[in-house]
Amino acid sequence: MLEGLRPHPALLQAAHLHRQQLKLGPEHGADRHLQGVPVLIVGHHILYGKVVQLEKPFAVLVKQGAGEPGPAGPHACYTVTALIKTKLLFKTRPKPIITNVPKKV
Amino acid sequence: MGYLVIRGEKHEQAVLCSKDKTYDMKIADTSNMLLFIPGCKTPEQLKADQASCNVIHSQIAGFSNNYWELRRCRPKLKKLRKLLMEDPYEGPDSRKDQTLTFSKYTTEDLLSLIQASEEEILHQLQVIDACEIEGFWRILEFDYEMKLLNHVTQLIDSESWSLSKVPLRTCLEELGSLEPREMIEHTLLSYGRKYIDDGEVYFEMHEDKICRAIAQMLLQNAVKFNLSEFHEVWQQSVPEGMTTRLDQLKGLALVDKSSRPETIFLLKVEDLPEDNQERFNSLFSIREKWTEEDITPYIQDLCAEKQTVGALLTKYARSSVQNGVKVYNSRRPIS
Repeated sequence: MLEGLRPHPALLQAAHLHRQQLKLGPEHGADRHLQGVPVLIVGHHILYGKVVQLEKPFAVLVKQGAGEPGPAGPHACYTVTALIKTKLLFKTRPKPIITNVPKKV
Repeated sequence: MGYLVIRGEKHEQAVLCSKDKTYDMKIADTSNMLLFIPGCKTPEQLKADQASCNVIHSQIAGFSNNYWELRRCRPKLKKLRKLLMEDPYEGPDSRKDQTLTFSKYTTEDLLSLIQASEEEILHQLQVIDACEIEGFWRILEFDYEMKLLNHVTQLIDSESWSLSKVPLRTCLEELGSLEPREMIEHTLLSYGRKYIDDGEVYFEMHEDKICRAIAQMLLQNAVKFNLSEFHEVWQQSVPEGMTTRLDQLKGLALVDKSSRPETIFLLKVEDLPEDNQERFNSLFSIREKWTEEDITPYIQDLCAEKQTVGALLTKYARSSVQNGVKVYNSRRPIS
């Protein structure tokens, strides 16, 4: 599961999960490798995150049965289809990815 | 099969039930959005391959801005008795049964109306001595129940049976002409422990439960009873060989030690509110100060898993010492 600042819904479809050794330039105030750090790329923006173990796991429920609500219809129930124990938390401010910086002549 | 059900009528706060547990539900909003990615791998799970660059295009299966928070709670079973008391069973001769049908409940009905898990509901039906008659769960009307019990205890007396070895077969033979056999057997099951000896079914009668029922019968016809007179009448009313004791009446009756002479009156815990604060308000309006011994039977059922009566008293009452005895009173003024 990912947890992050609310992006525009249209951008959700373009989300990538990117794991790699990433070098940051000095303009970011750091010159280090980022290994094993979850990175979320949404459109032209990038967010850095961390892995968090959930104190209380989430259960994902799927509704079964129940067509029309009402006394005559079958009763709805829920089955647990997944248990989520880990999340990737992205709470940094999205930074634009600049792929081509033209040098001023 | 594991499944979860949400139960509650429109005016009730929803609960989530598993097969045997009940949980209060609250919806919690998250300021961050939650995105679900099935099969998403954490860095440890991905192979540490420094040379390559992995961009994994993942599909988001769903997203949410809120989730349900669950907290285990006591099953809300007071309603069960209330529903079954709408139409108590008065026996096959009662003309009432042939006409009214809308106040009767099947197991299915109860599962959709009572905010508790199936196991908790079925267990409670057993605790309150409900029985299934023609597919409907019924509670016996108290007078009819006493009539049945009286048939059984009189038979035990006239046959000089041991109270711990009452034969089912003879009971059904002797009493079957007076009452339906199912009702006789139900009475024996409610007031005794069934066992088999040498292929025959017997019952070991619950002395405490029988004495308690007879006390209720005596007390419900009076506002209060002179305690010493009550002791006398009560002991005379119970079957031969049984001994009455005040501790059999916990949660049923209360002794007023401050009145002269001392009196006893009916106070049934099942008639009191189910909500913790309301229960304490109700108890403190009946009596201003309670000893722990007196109040315990009336708050025991409020204890959550691993919660003690002491913890409840600390939360809902204030203690003081009166005549060298620790007593509890309300934290707030009771109107």
